[in-house]
Amino acid sequence: MKKASSSAVLSTAIVCYIFWLVITGQIVSIFQGAPSVQVLIAGLVVSFLVALFSARFFIHEKPFYLLGKLPSYLYYCFVIFPIELWKANVDVAKRALNPSLPVNPGIVKIPSNMKSEYGRAMLANSITLTPGTITMDITEEEGQTYYYIHWIDVASSDPEEAGEAIKGTLEKWTGRIWE
Amino acid sequence: MIMPELLFFAVCFIVLALCLLFRLIQGPSVVDRAVTADSIDILSDMALILFALYSGRSVFLDIAFITAILGFIGSTIVARYLEGRL
Amino acid sequence: MRIVIDILIVISIFFAFAGVVGMLRMPDSFCRMQSSTNIATLGVLGVIIAGVLYAAFYLHDGAMAVKLVFMGIFYIITNPIAGHAICRGGYKHGVRPTKKYEVDKYGEDMVEE
Repeated sequence: MKKASSSAVLSTAIVCYIFWLVITGQIVSIFQGAPSVQVLIAGLVVSFLVALFSARFFIHEKPFYLLGKLPSYLYYCFVIFPIELWKANVDVAKRALNPSLPVNPGIVKIPSNMKSEYGRAMLANSITLTPGTITMDITEEEGQTYYYIHWIDVASSDPEEAGEAIKGTLEKWTGRIWE
Repeated sequence: MIMPELLFFAVCFIVLALCLLFRLIQGPSVVDRAVTADSIDILSDMALILFALYSGRSVFLDIAFITAILGFIGSTIVARYLEGRL
Repeated sequence: MRIVIDILIVISIFFAFAGVVGMLRMPDSFCRMQSSTNIATLGVLGVIIAGVLYAAFYLHDGAMAVKLVFMGIFYIITNPIAGHAICRGGYKHGVRPTKKYEVDKYGEDMVEE
């Protein structure tokens, strides 16, 4: 197993420390000017210990890459993705409440040209999080990445058309963040 | 100021969770049962959050958080077991 | 503000209701999972946003609001991972849809290997 770099350990420790501050409620005390010093120091020690042992499972590429892309990432998270989420939710809710249950399930295989490991994971999670589509597996054949996707209403079995219908907007924006 | 309708909404979520018990008992395959257990977990978490808001005590919020974490770990372990890698 | 909170929670209950009905009615296991995603996204987010508003404006409890935001982020991160893992694990374990699918690329490719 390969060793984790020091920046990977640092980024994992920062995330753990923020989590600690939220759980113990100290993050509000800091802004009110009355934090408990014991709790802060204990959290620091524990989060660095945890990060030392677990960073190699989480971080495989550049850890602070996302900070440079923060504006487009925030735009994706708070504008683009909620709109897609709302549309897909309304669609699946209509199908479930419709008396005749208009579903036509199937598993399609769509190509993608994401290179980065995090980009693939983010696209797969975005696809799974929109109701109506679930990513089942990711394979790599001849340099091209393929997603197997369970789709509740198969409109077409052609890979390109299905890919456009499932991940058109999502892939454009995740590609802009990660490429 | 206290909004008493929060309790009513919490009861709505609990009723929905009880409806899912039917699928939990009858579900033909193990995937159904795992997913349904996860959903019941989420719905009862929602009821806990609403009750925490109603009573103004954040203890219930902590309980809901722990339940969410346990539900996630549980369903992931079930998935790993099904895949034969445990 | 009170009306906004009520409307958010009612929207959330509506989507949770649709998800529950879908889970009870859908024809096979994988379609039921799609409905469970319905519960775990908008069914959760409405309650979380309403809770943040309530904790910030009525209870004046900042710690509670921050904790609720973290719970929302946690649900959003973990739900797709669990769904994907259960879906793939179930398929590899041998759970198949009751009716044959029109398109089933995953099954075809698994047979070839």
